[in-house]
Amino acid sequence: MADRAAEARLDQALVARVRLGNDPRAFEQLVRRHQGMVRAQLRRLLHGDHAAADDLAQEAFLLAWRKLDQFRGEARFSTWLYRITYACFLQVYRKKSLSLGDDDEGEGEGEAESLPEPTRAIDLQIDLERAMQRLSTSEQTVLLHCVQLGLSHEETAYVLSMPLGTVKTHATRGKAKLKKWLSAWHDVNEEQNP
Amino acid sequence: MNHSDNDDIEALLREQFDGAVPDDGFTDRVMQRVPPRRRRAAWPVVAGIVAGIGACWLSLLPTSLLQVGWQNWIGGELSASAIVLMAAVAGMSQLACWWTTMESEDPC
Repeated sequence: MADRAAEARLDQALVARVRLGNDPRAFEQLVRRHQGMVRAQLRRLLHGDHAAADDLAQEAFLLAWRKLDQFRGEARFSTWLYRITYACFLQVYRKKSLSLGDDDEGEGEGEAESLPEPTRAIDLQIDLERAMQRLSTSEQTVLLHCVQLGLSHEETAYVLSMPLGTVKTHATRGKAKLKKWLSAWHDVNEEQNP
Repeated sequence: MNHSDNDDIEALLREQFDGAVPDDGFTDRVMQRVPPRRRRAAWPVVAGIVAGIGACWLSLLPTSLLQVGWQNWIGGELSASAIVLMAAVAGMSQLACWWTTMESEDPC
């Protein structure tokens, strides 16, 4: 927690340097510090399309450079950056006329029962990946930000421009579905370690 | 779902996540595309507002609409001039609010 506070202070100092002195080197440090997680966020959102993710990440950083005056420090810089990145992603996503909303809510719910029984030969990670893909887009996105990127529910709500209650609901439902679909693994583990 | 199950699922998800992507020249590519940053000067906005108000005032000066409207407004009389003046003020306030909101909104 102290580390996160120190990181946030360092980001604030770098932002101040960019603003006061139009210092590109300070911005370069900001890019270097955050590019890894921003690109990871986009790779997940774009289902592993690395090239598209990197293109979009570049756009997000260029936008951050232009909009840096609008960063008021209400959120951590990384959270603000995730928000910009997610907005860029949504813009591209909408342009491609792909629907991203709750219309896919409960997608695969019926298929859950028919998920093949995981066998020892199938890797748990592959099953988890499949199960993740069966979640609704909103649940996947919320779990990515809340669990994998390590944001709080409040930060996730800010990044996704989503009500806090909705974020919590998606997180709970998503985890419950994963638990249900992966329950066979749990049973196997319990049999092995009674 | 109990707390332990939650922890298990979260641990699995974290394990599945590849984490931060190595830089591999990404930062250099971004920095090559970063344009020079220009500080936005406030004077064009102020000059525009002053010019707009001045133009409105000059165009309404011969009709004495402003003067009559203002006097009626102050006197609490709801005349046509006063209503026009109030509508103009309300419209400008709404435009200012809209502009401020648009400016303060981040991304894309």
